[in-house]
Amino acid sequence: MTGDELTGGYEGLAGRVLGPHDVDLDRVWLGVAAQVWRRQPGPVERAAGRLLRSPGLARALMTTPSLLLGWVIATATVLLAGVGVTLGTGTPWVGLIAPALAAAGIAYAYGPGIDPAWELSQSMAISDRMVLLVRALAVFGLNAALGLAASAASGAAAAVTFGWLVPMTAICALALATATVTRSPNVGVAAGATGWVIAILAGMDAEGQLTAAITDSAFIVPYLALAICCGAIVLLVTRIPRGAS
Amino acid sequence: MNVELTELTRKFGHTRAVAGVSLEAGPGVFGLLGPNGAGKTSLLRMMATVLPPTSGTLHLLGRDPGGYGPRREIRRRLGYLPQNLGYYPGFTVTDFVEYFALLKDMPPRQVPRAVATAIEHVGLGDRARSKLRTLSGGMLRRVGIAQAIVNEPELLLLDEPTAGLDPEQRVSFRALLRDFGQWSTVIVSTHLVEDVAAACTEVMLMDAGRIVFHGTPADLIARGEGHGVGDAPLERGYSAVLTAARS
Repeated sequence: MTGDELTGGYEGLAGRVLGPHDVDLDRVWLGVAAQVWRRQPGPVERAAGRLLRSPGLARALMTTPSLLLGWVIATATVLLAGVGVTLGTGTPWVGLIAPALAAAGIAYAYGPGIDPAWELSQSMAISDRMVLLVRALAVFGLNAALGLAASAASGAAAAVTFGWLVPMTAICALALATATVTRSPNVGVAAGATGWVIAILAGMDAEGQLTAAITDSAFIVPYLALAICCGAIVLLVTRIPRGAS
Repeated sequence: MNVELTELTRKFGHTRAVAGVSLEAGPGVFGLLGPNGAGKTSLLRMMATVLPPTSGTLHLLGRDPGGYGPRREIRRRLGYLPQNLGYYPGFTVTDFVEYFALLKDMPPRQVPRAVATAIEHVGLGDRARSKLRTLSGGMLRRVGIAQAIVNEPELLLLDEPTAGLDPEQRVSFRALLRDFGQWSTVIVSTHLVEDVAAACTEVMLMDAGRIVFHGTPADLIARGEGHGVGDAPLERGYSAVLTAARS
């Protein structure tokens, strides 16, 4: 650290008048404090900052509740259990639980129900909509990667391994839209889980198979339509009206 | 002018929280007084670009916050302390202030020094690395003030900033307000008339969504001479103006 780094740019807290040979200790202290107190971003945050070209957005990403280590470990544990059950029973449980897990993560990614400083966050230069987008994509990507790894480990057929990605998109969008509209992540999780159970039951009713909701291509269009509608709702709800509201 | 409001209105259902407020404000410290439900917080939230107006025009720092680009630029130069500021209990004081400095889009190289300066300004240097869950209510309020001033805002909006501060801290805080008021527009919503008397260059008194008085603290005191109810001259002016506005 150079002397300039220690002393540069600060005009003094106390506003004292200094002589030509005096040292402004307040100024020196601030330089020291800035170095001592500064938080060193981890490698993931640094990489995210470079990728997003915004350290603020990267920091917001790293504070996502459903990307914290405990949540990720819990998700991986549930998927591992799913791998065990799938291998034991032959039913592809990983593909059936992965969308619901991802929906829970998405519902807890963003919103007034989980962010204590929500009001303040809304007055920031980095828009809350951008934070929402980045967090939702990151949670979705991580859950998709974990789910695909678990699905592959369980020895499921390719149709099953990749088949749940489209329903996962729809269920995640449903959970996010509900959480955003109701301002409650718990309601979002409940909506996502309920929607997924209904899809599975509808698949069973139509095809007589538990896995029809993830293997039947006839469901793809409804899934995509649901995802698009829910995405539009999120955009509508998070917009800032220009005038009358 | 840093703040230009014309017939600004905000409705919640059938309730008009802000009913046609017009205001121009340049550098200085402006006290916003008024009873509960007068519309102070709604007015501050609109100026903080958190709440859109129902009607009227709003220009902040020479820009219309209705557009994305201007709103972002305003927010870079804005400091806001909400009435109910939530805290992340696992964050340290430094983490919290740094987080909002980054969300204000401050240049990353400037952030550590700005954070240290803001924390020292509010007298929390000795607790800089303490977790927020270990701090008292008054200390948390000072953390909130630190995040508001970290970007040296040209428009500083503070909603009940002195709630929970002890008398010594309030004296320091008023000095900070006066410092900022020399070059930026500081609008302070408060119930404490002594804060207004000590720190504000102008006072606005709101009632039922309208500004019913706008002048200097001395003007408000003059309105209370021979009238009003209260222990302090400013309180008598406050009650006299409110009584006149409601009659």
